[in-house]
Amino acid sequence: MTDEIIMEAVKNGDLQQVSVLFERYHKRIFNFLARMTTDREVAEDLTQNVFLRIIKYRTSYREGNLFQAWIYQVARNVFSDHYQSKKNKFSDFVSVDRVSESIEDKEESTDMEEKEILLQRSMALLSEEQRELLILTRFQHLKYEEVATIMNTTVANIKVKVHRAIGKLREHYFELEKI
Amino acid sequence: MEKEKLESLLIDYIDGNISAADKALVEAELLSNPEAVKLHRQLTEVIGMMNESTAYEPSQKLKSSFDAMLANEKKTSSTKVVFFSPAFYRIAAAVTLLVVGGGLGYFISKYNQQQSELAEAKRLLQETKQEMMAKLDNEHSASQRLLGVTVAIKKIEKADREILGALIKTMNDDPNTNVRVAALEALGKFHQDPMVRRALIDALSTQKDPIVQIALIRILVEMNEKGSLQELEKITNDEEMLKEVKDEAHAGILRLS
Repeated sequence: MTDEIIMEAVKNGDLQQVSVLFERYHKRIFNFLARMTTDREVAEDLTQNVFLRIIKYRTSYREGNLFQAWIYQVARNVFSDHYQSKKNKFSDFVSVDRVSESIEDKEESTDMEEKEILLQRSMALLSEEQRELLILTRFQHLKYEEVATIMNTTVANIKVKVHRAIGKLREHYFELEKI
Repeated sequence: MEKEKLESLLIDYIDGNISAADKALVEAELLSNPEAVKLHRQLTEVIGMMNESTAYEPSQKLKSSFDAMLANEKKTSSTKVVFFSPAFYRIAAAVTLLVVGGGLGYFISKYNQQQSELAEAKRLLQETKQEMMAKLDNEHSASQRLLGVTVAIKKIEKADREILGALIKTMNDDPNTNVRVAALEALGKFHQDPMVRRALIDALSTQKDPIVQIALIRILVEMNEKGSLQELEKITNDEEMLKEVKDEAHAGILRLS
């Protein structure tokens, strides 16, 4: 059964069906939010919020719309509300020092390759929009078309922005590598 | 070639998402331009790392808190929806609310109106009462006292203890005959009140003014007050009583018995 048919059932009051959508999407949404927040614990809370909002605002889901685009839109809103409420948005950038500590498990961290840490630190130096675009298209492997739908823009626009973001990431990565 | 353009083409080339013409262009650049080679190597590395990055696993807590949240939402949702899910019931409920609300509003406004009318009536009565009392208290002017009694006759529909007490006192004690007779007439208006009946019967034995006595007897007979028979008989047997009063008492006894 497609996500859209399940979501229609949820909209019509069959709330139990949300658990099917949870099984299909919770890891993706958690990973998106974990990379956006660089904090696993916060990401779990926000993932829970995403599914709560899906239940609360189920009637605002429009028939025929892609569920995947909708749930990512909800997740982006949840992330944005979280940062606004914490008034933590001094800049678009994440503190580089705390990234690897907060996002990785300690055990993983000891085994983690140096290059992986470098990648995360380079990601943290990007703007929030660039980081989000790379998370969606590269870490989560969404197509440009899908991201364009989520962000309500054109494919060409997404492609240009993703290419620039990759260019920036490359710069930061090899700059940090020299240190 | 401009660096940004080259970089963009290289990304498409690495992604395998490039036209044949652009692919030839990039490959030619890679053969002739060492900077392009370096860019290609660096881009391949970061893109490869992102693509191959392993996903994080959420903790078990996420699943359990989701289950708890879902159970809770199902509970609140079912209590809300059960009776009102079909549109008909919702409309019916809306109409009922509207009608009940409108009705309630009407009754509240009606009640408020009645309350304010009642308050207005009380205020008027209070004013009349004060007017009457003030006039009855005027010991220097019999005409003012007479006016006070007239107020009671004309304006007061329902007298309270205070008004009746003042009228009884006037009937018994006022130095002016006309005022006493007027008070008596005023009391006749409230003859249903037991306190008035008692006062009128008692006055038969205390009043010495023949004009007031005759008026009293007439009123008591009109009221069909059989309780006054004993006092009337005393009057008929009283040697000192004026003949006209005795005749009136005698006629009264005949009508009452």
